[in-house]
Amino acid sequence: MSFLFQLLFSGIVLGLVYALAALGFVLIYKASRVVNFAQGQFIAIGAFLAYWAMVSLGVPFLLAAALALAFTALLGFGVERVFLKRMVGQPIISVIMATIGLASLLDGLIHLTPYGAGNFSYPSFLPPGGLTEAAFHCATPLSSFLPPGGLTLLGVQISYAQLLAVAFTLLFLLVFTWFFQRSTLGVAMRSVADDQMAALSLGVSVERVFALAWAAAGLTAAAAGMVVGTISGLNLDGLVHIGLRVFPVVILGGLDSIPGAVVAGILIGVLENLAAGFLDPFIPGGGTRDVFPFLVLLLVLWFKPHGLFGTEEIERV
Amino acid sequence: MRNPWAQTGNYRTSYQQDTSIFATHRELVSLLLFLGFLLVLPQFLSRTQVFILDLILVYSVAVLGLNITTGYAGLINIGQAAFMGVGAYTAALVAPQGIPFWLVVPLGGLVAAFFGYLVGIPSLRVKHLYLALATLAFQMVFEWAVGHMPLLKQGGAMDMPRASFLGYEAGFRNHFHFWYYVSLVTLVVLAFFFRNLLRTRYGRALVAVRDNDRAADAMGMDPGRTKLFAFALGAFYAGVAGVLYAYLSRAVVIEDYTFAVSIKLLAMAIVGGLGTLVGSFLGPAFLELLDVNMEALSNFIKALGFSVAGVDVASALRPLAFGLIIVLFLMFEPRGLYNWWRIVRSYFRTWPFKY
Repeated sequence: MSFLFQLLFSGIVLGLVYALAALGFVLIYKASRVVNFAQGQFIAIGAFLAYWAMVSLGVPFLLAAALALAFTALLGFGVERVFLKRMVGQPIISVIMATIGLASLLDGLIHLTPYGAGNFSYPSFLPPGGLTEAAFHCATPLSSFLPPGGLTLLGVQISYAQLLAVAFTLLFLLVFTWFFQRSTLGVAMRSVADDQMAALSLGVSVERVFALAWAAAGLTAAAAGMVVGTISGLNLDGLVHIGLRVFPVVILGGLDSIPGAVVAGILIGVLENLAAGFLDPFIPGGGTRDVFPFLVLLLVLWFKPHGLFGTEEIERV
Repeated sequence: MRNPWAQTGNYRTSYQQDTSIFATHRELVSLLLFLGFLLVLPQFLSRTQVFILDLILVYSVAVLGLNITTGYAGLINIGQAAFMGVGAYTAALVAPQGIPFWLVVPLGGLVAAFFGYLVGIPSLRVKHLYLALATLAFQMVFEWAVGHMPLLKQGGAMDMPRASFLGYEAGFRNHFHFWYYVSLVTLVVLAFFFRNLLRTRYGRALVAVRDNDRAADAMGMDPGRTKLFAFALGAFYAGVAGVLYAYLSRAVVIEDYTFAVSIKLLAMAIVGGLGTLVGSFLGPAFLELLDVNMEALSNFIKALGFSVAGVDVASALRPLAFGLIIVLFLMFEPRGLYNWWRIVRSYFRTWPFKY
């Protein structure tokens, strides 16, 4: 039983990462109908930037995180302004290919840094004292350690890194919810997603919303990257791969649904973990977790193409 | 009577002329001359150079298929390499049984076409992006399945036998030359078919369904069957390319048929010009040569001794150049290299007039 709980919990943690990554994807898609194949690269850039800031600059964790978030947001904004803006109105294949080219370009740029190959892990930033002092005592990040072990609840091992990841993700999601429900910009973005014409006629700058959607996607990508980094270390291929895992999530949740992205992210994370836990012993070589989300994707496409919460497109002649 | 050799521009005065493949005699003759040039070309090149030509030809076959599914029928396929892989693995299973290569090549294509048909089934319900993701899922499932099948050595190298044709053995020295000619003949046949496809009602149905499937439906075409046909046909081309690639590289490894290769094929189709015949050769040639030159460039940089610890220039330059080319083409020449070809050709066709 505790095995099941263990799988469920680590699945939820993984799912929260997917939810964050998928959130950025859905934001872009909702606003501008652009499919972002470069999400994985954004995730990697955010994660490695935070690593670089902590290790090479010796900046405390929170500052490094803020730096990474700000940079990827700027990068997303810039990418939209330079590349994607010209693609408005082009056929969907061109748009897809543009983001694929962008992904390749960013990949090459990451490979120009020493982070292209090999594994890295964040220096532990929590002092032995516990979580409460974490925010204040991180001036010397390399010398402090995350307490080993963690909590045990219902027979489930929960490491502090995982707890922190969950807390961080939930906080991030809360801030995003507030932003979209309450702030003027958020409402403007929702209005563009709802009806571009109407938004334009009411004085919302659609162009700016497109760019902002990319900036927001950059933010979520960096957040996802740092969460993965704290839980399981940094590796370029692994981080980029999350960008592909986003697709099963957004299809299951519905391409244009923000709550769908969160719910489906957690669902896919849990399903993937359950598959790894229960199916792997029956399959030579294991590794069911790599394929299971895509099988789900195929099944959803066959039986419920618009996902759990997506709006069905009704076509008229 | 106008002299057919000295005319400027196109003169099509009858319906028959309008539907002919070659508009002018000059076109036909220049094509034959070019084919003749391709036939003797390998005699002047080294083995490695012929190998690069081989790759270009094989990828051209796959890109032709992609131009049917994505270019003609408008069904985005980001799993073309997986269909190539299906063909290649069919060859790896069948060829060691002693079956001659000229049977294996179409067989691999047919098996791939069957898989293309299966993958196309979601296209009956979903469109555009959703369909693209279905092909992406197929690519992922294919890679995973091959990696877990003991029959296919779990993605490890499966040996391919050397081939022989009418008593002519492809040995170590002439292996690349042999496959150059086989690939060239295959490519010419398939390209001819591709060119003629639009002259049949099946081919025109593809374009009609791409442009507006409901209107096509109203005109009496069956969009569902047309889409499945496009997928199967595109996958057939990919399967043939996969078999050729397998024979050429003398081994089948999963690394040759991954998602990255699918993207490369799609990029070739776009850089060449989506849905065009000439673009299907220009795109692969351009990107393959770019790849080779990037390798040379990174070796050159390495030789300069200019390196930072932990940075591999080779693994950085290739995706960098590749991505840059795609993005630049999409931004500044979305119609691809084909457009340049068109401009040059119409210059000569209408010479000495401007247009």
